Amino acid sequence: MYYYILDPHNLSLPRFEKLQVELQGLLAEFNVTGEVGRVTALRTISDLIETASQRGAHTLIACGSDDTFNLMLALLKGRDFTLGFIPLTENSYLGKILGADSLHTAVKTIAARRIEKIDLARAGNTYFIGSAEFGITGHDLQNVNLWNSFTSLSGKAMELQIRIDNQYTITAQTIGGAVVNSRMTSSADQSLANPTDGYLDLLLLDALPKSAILRYKQDIIDNMLEKTPHSSVIKCQKIEFLEPRGLGLSIAGKVLTKFPETVEIIPRRLKMIVGKNRTF
Amino acid sequence: MDSNLENEATGPTETIVGPSVKIQGDLNSEGDIKIEGQVAGTVTTSQNVYVGDKAVITADVVAGSAIIAGNVNGNLKISNHLILQSTATISGDIACEVLRVEDGAHFSGKCNMGGNSKAKTKEREPETEE
Repeated sequence: MYYYILDPHNLSLPRFEKLQVELQGLLAEFNVTGEVGRVTALRTISDLIETASQRGAHTLIACGSDDTFNLMLALLKGRDFTLGFIPLTENSYLGKILGADSLHTAVKTIAARRIEKIDLARAGNTYFIGSAEFGITGHDLQNVNLWNSFTSLSGKAMELQIRIDNQYTITAQTIGGAVVNSRMTSSADQSLANPTDGYLDLLLLDALPKSAILRYKQDIIDNMLEKTPHSSVIKCQKIEFLEPRGLGLSIAGKVLTKFPETVEIIPRRLKMIVGKNRTF
Repeated sequence: MDSNLENEATGPTETIVGPSVKIQGDLNSEGDIKIEGQVAGTVTTSQNVYVGDKAVITADVVAGSAIIAGNVNGNLKISNHLILQSTATISGDIACEVLRVEDGAHFSGKCNMGGNSKAKTKEREPETEE
């Protein structure tokens, strides 16, 4: 049985109600109806997962924003659901990763029920399937003008200290970086950002000369840091961020946790419904 | 084969150690490794290693094939091809199947080549441990 968690977070009430009607129509059209639980002040996502579990649902579909899905991941607590995602907000990065970037495509994807076992990244008590960033991030650069881009990307580097796979320690002068499990943009190099390979990709960004900033700004926004000059790429399963203490690790601009923190991969942990236009 | 190896070194690489990065410990990879920074410890892969001209490695390197353009203080144990480019400086012993040394490369140490050298290397290991 399908259990849909409908979350109005980040949506105005009229917009949410319109999308809800549209969604129910599509679910009926593609014959993937199931039980629907709406997140309210009194019924949290955690409560709805509990309800789904009690009703014997095997497939849990998050309908809402990227935050809805990420929160659902964090609250699963080892329960064995097949997961799906229907974005109700625009420009959902998870929707793009999973090949379900519109309401129609997402419902069609759920109906096709192509399931991939994908890796799950854990940062402290939080989980993610996309990427987490620190320092100067692509999200920071999305809405800043050219002058601020110059200031950020050619700025002073910080000294980062990281322990990798309990085997070696990295000391790097960097302005930012990312821990990538998967990302919105497909990589030309199939070994990078692949959430089915059992590895994380740690990408470190060096300060750029001013002449290179215009050329590489979009690559940084797309989290394709490996394309920038003097960047580093480390494939690993466990990353212990040691220094600088207090530096935030964020997803799409929202701080998840702060250094010191450990990020590790749990290979093939999630059963995920994916579309044919997924990025991996 | 040599040109293929050089092409691989400029293609997709699994691990890239940038110029601002220092690594201490055992760097193991299942894919190609490109080093432009500093490594102290060991470097191990069954695939290719490329050491850039500004790189400084104080480590034993075990790899399938290697192109060295930087400074290596340590032993190189390469299963196939080893290329020392003109900017390379090696202080340590080399064991490889095929060796190419370009004009200007510096090398100080012993060199064992081919299957015969592999056997000798294996024979020597217990002696050094004792």
